[in-house]
Amino acid sequence: MEKLIEILEGLNPEVDYKTCEDLVDGRHLDSLTILALISEIEENFDVMIPTVEIIPDNFNSAKKIWKLIERLEDDN
Amino acid sequence: MSYFSLKYLIIFLLTIVVVYIFTPKKLRNLLLLLASYALFIKVSKKLVVFLLLSTLSIYFSALLMNKLDLKRNKEIEKVSKEEKKIIKEKYKSKKRIILILTILFNVAFLFYFKYLNFFKEIINIIFSSDLKILKIIAPMGISFYTLRALSYVIDVYNEKEEAERNIIKIMLYLSFFPIILEGPIASYADVKNEFDKKSSVTYHNFCFGCQRILYGLFKKLVIADRLNQFVKIIFKSYMNYSGSTIFLGAIFYTILLYMEFSGTMDVVNGSAEIFGIKLPENFRQPFFSKNISEFWSRWHITLGLWFKNYIFYPVSLSKPVKKLSTFLRNKVSVRFSSLTMGAIALFAVWTLNGLWHGAGFTYMLFGYYHFILILLGNIFEPLIIKTCDKLKISRNTKIYKFLQIIKTSILVFIGELIFRAKNLTVAFGMLKRIFLNFNITNTNFSIGLDIKDYIVLVFALIIVLVISILKEKNMNVREELSKKHIVIRWIIYYALIIGIIIFGAYGPGYAPVEPIYADF
Repeated sequence: MEKLIEILEGLNPEVDYKTCEDLVDGRHLDSLTILALISEIEENFDVMIPTVEIIPDNFNSAKKIWKLIERLEDDN
Repeated sequence: MSYFSLKYLIIFLLTIVVVYIFTPKKLRNLLLLLASYALFIKVSKKLVVFLLLSTLSIYFSALLMNKLDLKRNKEIEKVSKEEKKIIKEKYKSKKRIILILTILFNVAFLFYFKYLNFFKEIINIIFSSDLKILKIIAPMGISFYTLRALSYVIDVYNEKEEAERNIIKIMLYLSFFPIILEGPIASYADVKNEFDKKSSVTYHNFCFGCQRILYGLFKKLVIADRLNQFVKIIFKSYMNYSGSTIFLGAIFYTILLYMEFSGTMDVVNGSAEIFGIKLPENFRQPFFSKNISEFWSRWHITLGLWFKNYIFYPVSLSKPVKKLSTFLRNKVSVRFSSLTMGAIALFAVWTLNGLWHGAGFTYMLFGYYHFILILLGNIFEPLIIKTCDKLKISRNTKIYKFLQIIKTSILVFIGELIFRAKNLTVAFGMLKRIFLNFNITNTNFSIGLDIKDYIVLVFALIIVLVISILKEKNMNVREELSKKHIVIRWIIYYALIIGIIIFGAYGPGYAPVEPIYADF
């Protein structure tokens, strides 16, 4: 989780990722940042994020992104 | 057909509402389906065959893919991890064939009806050939229902959506009369539960639906049709006017387009609301956007979401683009890599977005204009942030945000000018005059509009602006209105009805705006 927060802060340092629950809905993460985030996640956690998983509900908070990573790791 | 016509509102919609009230709950969807097909056949006659073929193709391919999913799940129950992977891959490729065939089948119709002539035109230009341009009439709403059809079948392929067994619901999803002509391009997930409710026409639903329809009529008849007087002359004979007058024409056209399209959506959503069906919204105060990207997340929202879900992410995360992005990330930087991924996907999105709006070079230019603006916005965003920080300019002040809104609006006006222009020569001619012949003191306001028109326009626009500001502040205007005393409510309704009757720009001397998006 710490690694994920570090990645997120690298992409947009202006957000408190421990509390923010509307990363996508609040436009803290735009489409381009999500692309960069996906690349970083795939590189650092050795998972592949299919396009079908790119929905606001999976990316609205650091916790939810972490859950997605864990789920994809399990699937692998 | 127009949703603003008395034929639709008084004869068609009202008749369906009355019949619906007396229809048993289990037959309500069937009634809506029959009404939708009746309307479709009335407008497009035997072309209904194509709507049926599209419906059947997605219905059966979704069922087939679902069957394969179940078979796969059974097979992978008691096998090793390695075997699981092989089995999954085997079924995925089978499903992929079904998906590709279904997409091709549906896109082929769209291509024939919308793009064949444009394609021939291009071939004629390139090879100086003489391919015959045919007179083709497309089935009503083909651009809208095809996108809905594709979204359903792709969602089933991705197992995001279960295949629907009830064919009436799928038929209704593609043909539902309020959405057939101009959207919204709802996903199946957006509407399936709404169709399941088979709600009654309650007093609340009826009042809310009618309020919404009235507001749409107000935007269209009082504002859009009035502005059309000015707009049609400017775009027809722009060479007779100064750059500032042409720019005013571009502003008026943008307002006209917004009032016409969002007004149509009010009638569409209002019509559905009468039956207790809530459709997704297509507009969220677009003129409060601070950049073009944001504008497109507030304007024609369902089309933007469709392109985001089915073009932007699949293209940017496709194998070749990912390979390129890994290479760039290692050799250059993460930012450059994501910018490139985004640029490739944006190019695809805006090429298709331009073409979706129409088979013509002005639409393509309209698409690429937005592609360039969004790309430049993405590239220069960090630089702007840095410059503001250095100059100690706060980006959170009201004045900064206001200037951003003005900048975005000007860019939108130029984009819509390209969109409306008859051809590229006209578009460039108008732009040239705006940039080279701009003289604010030489602006002609009196083209097709007199002082009374301007007074009506100012009052009407203030009403729309106040409602937009309240909505932007997350106030549910209609809910708030419903809490007011019945006398106040009815005064407002009557004011709106009388306002439309007295100030609506119809009758001799006025030419109503044709349904713009219905042609796409």
